[in-house]
Order: sequence, then structure tokens, then C-alpha cells
Amino acid sequence: MFTPHQLNRRSFLRLGLGVSVLGAVGAGTACAPVTPQSSKGGANTFTIYWNAGHTYKAYEAVIDQFGKDHDLQINWQKFQWPDLTTKLVADFKSGNVPDLVEEVTAGTGTQYGIAGDVIAIDDLAKGDTGMKFPDDFIDAAVTARQYEGKTYSIPFHLTANGLLFYNKGLLADAGFATPPTTWEEFLEMTKATTKDKVTGTALNSDPSYSAPFYHQQGVAFSDVTKGEFLTPEASATKALQFMQDLIYAHRVSPAPVATTDYSGPQKLFSAKRAATFLSGPWDLGPVRQGSPDIDLGVAPPLKGSVQASAMAGAGLMIPTKAKNPDLSWELIGKLTALETEMAATKEAGMSMPRKSWAADPAVASDETLKVVATALSLIAKQDPELPASGKANQINELYKKAYQQIVIQQHPVDASLADFRTQAKAALS
Amino acid sequence: MTTALAPAAPPTAPQARPRWESRARRREAGTAWRFLLPAVIFFVALFFVPILNQLVAAANGGVDGTTFVGLDNFVTAFNDPEVIHSFTITLIYAAGSVTIGIGIGILLAVILNQALPGRTLFRSLLLIPYLTSVAIIGLLWRNILDPQIGILNRLLETVGLPGQTWLSTAPLATIIGITIWSSAGYTMVLFLAGLQGIPGMYYEAAQIDGAGPWRRFFSITLPLLAPTTLFVSVIGVIGALQQFALPYIVTGGGPGNATSLYAHRVFIVAFNDNQFGYASALSVLLLIVILILSIIQLKVGDRANDHT
Repeated sequence: MFTPHQLNRRSFLRLGLGVSVLGAVGAGTACAPVTPQSSKGGANTFTIYWNAGHTYKAYEAVIDQFGKDHDLQINWQKFQWPDLTTKLVADFKSGNVPDLVEEVTAGTGTQYGIAGDVIAIDDLAKGDTGMKFPDDFIDAAVTARQYEGKTYSIPFHLTANGLLFYNKGLLADAGFATPPTTWEEFLEMTKATTKDKVTGTALNSDPSYSAPFYHQQGVAFSDVTKGEFLTPEASATKALQFMQDLIYAHRVSPAPVATTDYSGPQKLFSAKRAATFLSGPWDLGPVRQGSPDIDLGVAPPLKGSVQASAMAGAGLMIPTKAKNPDLSWELIGKLTALETEMAATKEAGMSMPRKSWAADPAVASDETLKVVATALSLIAKQDPELPASGKANQINELYKKAYQQIVIQQHPVDASLADFRTQAKAALS
Repeated sequence: MTTALAPAAPPTAPQARPRWESRARRREAGTAWRFLLPAVIFFVALFFVPILNQLVAAANGGVDGTTFVGLDNFVTAFNDPEVIHSFTITLIYAAGSVTIGIGIGILLAVILNQALPGRTLFRSLLLIPYLTSVAIIGLLWRNILDPQIGILNRLLETVGLPGQTWLSTAPLATIIGITIWSSAGYTMVLFLAGLQGIPGMYYEAAQIDGAGPWRRFFSITLPLLAPTTLFVSVIGVIGALQQFALPYIVTGGGPGNATSLYAHRVFIVAFNDNQFGYASALSVLLLIVILILSIIQLKVGDRANDHT
């Protein structure tokens, strides 16, 4: 009679291990390409990828109304930026893409556009006079999204990193009636406000927050045409050394914590553990809502050898395989309309890229927005060749390593930057 | 004196199976295959086809990932300092989390195998971290370890000790510690099952022979836990080599690249650097390493068990 093979204890364990090993093998298959299929969702579904921090009621109302107008089921997916990027890259590979995507920063759309994953919006813009693109948009926000005559995304928010957020009460207690305007004054103020459990400032572990510092020494992040990074080199060293010294020599800032979250300094400021921090308009809402008892002051970017800020702010882009680019464009028009921008500014304090927004009396008369406008006028020029090279993300990741080594692990500045330059040049080649 | 041996019986010719038995056997095998077929199709379609796909991807590169590059991606991997670094720290992470984890698991199992009041409650409590999502564990520890507003430094300050920058000064050791904390309950349960499978008479006999508690532990308990130890170590090493979520959530692979374990590196290469061919090659290399390590562990474990 046929007798099936009996499982004893050892063979059972072996079977379990075998399955586990094969499971491990399967886990490694995530990188395999998949065959492109169709765009995301059914014909009646409109999918949007959005940053979770930008889900303002002003945008929600516009998107809801858009869905009703076109009898569409809106699939509004919200992510943190790194997760949005991961999902989008996977979608581009699979061909199963959303209909509209928020762009993390100027240049990202260019990188995807040159690879054929998002469309150039110039023809759509030409056919839509009501949009007033590009005439009504601040030039720097537009040109940072253009390459070889094509525009790959629309500016959505226009912000500047490098605003000085300060606690007026803590500065007054230390004898400062006005905020610092230069690096020297900033250092003096942070030393004076560092006492007990309060530090004078709080630096960020996110490398993009170092941009105002190196721009204030006249440093350009990249010059891809020449194959150079962080030049002039001596000035870049000076900027990063200043940041490192704030933590380890002067002890006026805690060492940042390496995380994927960039809100650490804002949380310390809101908890009254830091007298100042450098950031952009996106932190106005969290500070005002989180700590209404703090007498918040916002000052223009500091002056090192020059006064400068770093461009920030999201855009909107349309994937090439979106179901109906005309429909996506229509929603872009509604989201970037002046009345929507004004509503978002009123709700969250966000600054916008339209010239008509900047000229609006409600904006022009707001003390904080005036400071933001000053910072916007000081934005350092970006290198359009970097996103066009397709290596921007890779090179930014290399800089993140160098930056964190400098400000968290206290590695020598020159050596870390030299290592970064070598690796960045290799990545370009 | 000689002993006459009985002549060996002539070997019997294999008897032909009756025809009805062969038919029944074939019928049973056919039925078994029909039952197995859906699982086989599922496994091949969702497992071996993607692996094959991955092997093909690993041989491609270029801007759009469709240029055939042969073994170039593998050669690049062996010369890539970031990959070598991530592999090295992954081995350190695996060695640290598995060996210390096994030690703590055995210790907890031995303690909770005693007739202590409330031991069922303790066993359940220890298992909770293992049952909790790794995302929650990561966020939890990120907040606990925050040097400025984390509860751990607050506690240290309360007892007069200086606060520490855990994730800056010893990031990899901290990640190892979190891993051990989260898996200790599961390891304990496995060793507890192993302990309860050891017959009590061995201990009684050893006690009669005058063996003390340490001698009984090292001469009876540990050797008879060898199959469980093997199981835990193989599963632990595989899990450690694949670890991605914890460093991604707690440190983002930083500071610098201090906690960028191998799987995190693969993720960065694929989704940040957009080099899917290279990332596929790295995944294939990980697969080979896992297979080799698992085979070695199983062989060593088998030999040890045979000696036992």
C-alpha cells in the first residue's frame, strides 16, 4: 500500500527553514521590472499624488468641486515626500501612473520629463490664456523648471529656505531688541540665548537646510557643465565649518538627529528649547498652531559674505501616461488660480509663485509675508543642468551623507566635502 | 574456538508489485498533483518568474535600464565602496542581533520556564513588541531616543546621569538594540518550546549524579536546545540580512551612511538613483549570500545535532 512520506521534527524544521530561505529570495525580487500596463484606476477615477503636509482645506475644496464637475471619483493619495518619490518611480516603471502629481521641488519634473515620464506643459499653457503662464509667475520659479525650451512642471508654491524664526521673548531676555542680520550677530545672539535647557538655535539633519548657509558664502551647489560641486571650495568649507562650530565649538545648537523627518528644529523651537531656527514659510503654520503662546518673529535671511536664501517650493506635473492630460491641466489651473493661492496663504501662511499674489494688498500689507517676499528676492540661482543630468537625486543623496557626517558625526569638513566631490563627479560620469 | 556461522540467506528477488497496487499508487500520485497544481502555478508565477525577471534586469543597465551589460553590474558591485560598506555593517548587524538575541532569548526562556507567579502574563508582555508593526516600533524608539525631547534622556537626567545622543554616537548598536528588544519575545517563545521538550528525567539523572545547576544547563539544556538554536539563528540571519524598515524609519540610513544596511542600499540605488539594473544585481548577490549562509548553517547544525 502506498505510504506517504512522514514529516518528522527535523524534516519539519528543514521545511520551515527552506520556506524561509525561499521567502528571503522572493523578498529580493522587488527591483525586477514589470511590464507596463495602463494608467492608474478606472476611466472614471482621477488619481492625485500629494504631499501630506499640503492638504489644506483650500485645495480640498477645489479638488472636491473638480470631481463633482466632471463626475469623477477622486483618488487623492497623500504621502511624505520620500514615499511619494518611491511610489512615483515605481509607477513610472510599471506604467500605472496617477493623473496629477505634486513635484517635490523645482527640477524634479525636468528630470522625469527628460526621461519621458512627465509631459512638457508648454502647449497646454499656450492654449489656456486664463492661466497667464508664464507671464504671471515669478521668473526664477519658472526657469528652474525649464530645460532646452521646455517646461516640465508648473510652480505651485514658491518658498525660500533661510528665514530666521526667532522667539521674541527669549531674545529680549538676552538683551536683543532686534534679530541678527549677519553671521557674526547671529553667533553672538545664539551664545547669549543658550542657557539652561535652551539652545540659541537648532540645526536640521536634512541637508537642504544647509543651502542658505553655503549660498550666503556665495557657493553654488553644482556646475554640471564644468563638473564642479560646492564651489568656490574654500567658501563651502567656511560655510559648513560655521555650521559644525555652532554645534561642537560654540555649543549653541544640539547635534541634529538623523531621521527622515525635517521637523526636529521646529519642534524644539515650539517646545521653547531653541531660541531660533532657520527654515521656510512651511513652518509658520506648525509654529503658530503648535505654540500660540510664543511671540514669533520672522527675519530675512542672514548675510555671510552675501545675503541669500535657497529656493524651495513644490510644483505640479502631469505624467506622460496620465489618462487625460487636458483634465489634469484644468485642475492645475484651478489649484494655481489666484483665489486658491490667497485661500491657502490665509489658511497656512504659504507663499505662492504668482506675481499677482505678491501684488495683492492682503499679501503686501502682511508683515511676515513681506519678509518672505524679501527672502524670495534673494534666492540663489540654481543649476538647471543638474536635474537634466538625471543624477540630481543620486548626488543629493551623496551630499546628505557628507552633510550628516559633518554636523552629526563631526567628521573633518574638508575631507567630507572632498569625498563628496569625488563621488558626485563619478556619479556624473 | 570457532563459531560456525549460519549461511547467509540468498537475496530474495524483488517481488513484482501487484498490478492493482501500481494503479492505486499512480491514481494517488495523480490526485496529489492535481491538489498541488494550483500552489505550484502560484509559486512559479509569483516567485520563480519574478526571480528570472530579476536576473534578466541584473544584466541590463543604461539610462532606461534596457541596455545589455552582461555581468558589469556585478563587477561594479564588488568595487562599489558604498555597497561594500553596507554589506559589512549588515554582517555586523546580523552577528550582533542574532548572537545577543539568542543569549537573551535563552535567558528569558529559562527564567520563565520556572514556576514563577505571573509567568504567563510576563510571557505575553514580552511577546507584544514582536506583534507590533515595525513602523510603530521605529517611530516609538525614534521618539524615546531623541536627545532633546526623548523620554530616555529625561530619565537619565532625573537620576543625575548625562543625556546621550544614541542615534549619533552609536547608531548601528542602537539599531541592533532595538532589533533585539523587538524580537526577544519571539525568540523566548521558541526556546521555551524547546525547553519544554526536554524530558525531565535527564535532569533528575544528572542531579543524582551530583551535577549542579550550571553543569545541568551546559551539559543538558544547551545541547538539547541545539535544533532550536539552529532554527533561530538561520531565521535571524536571514531576517537581519533583509532588514530595511527599522533603519529606514529610525535613522533614514544615517547619520552619513552609518546605518544604511544592504537592503536600504538596494532601495536607494533603485528608487533614488533610478538604477534598477544595478539594484537587481545587488538583490541577486544578497540572494546568493543568504543561500550560502543558510546552507552553511544547516550543515554545521546537522553535524552538531549528529554529535549530540
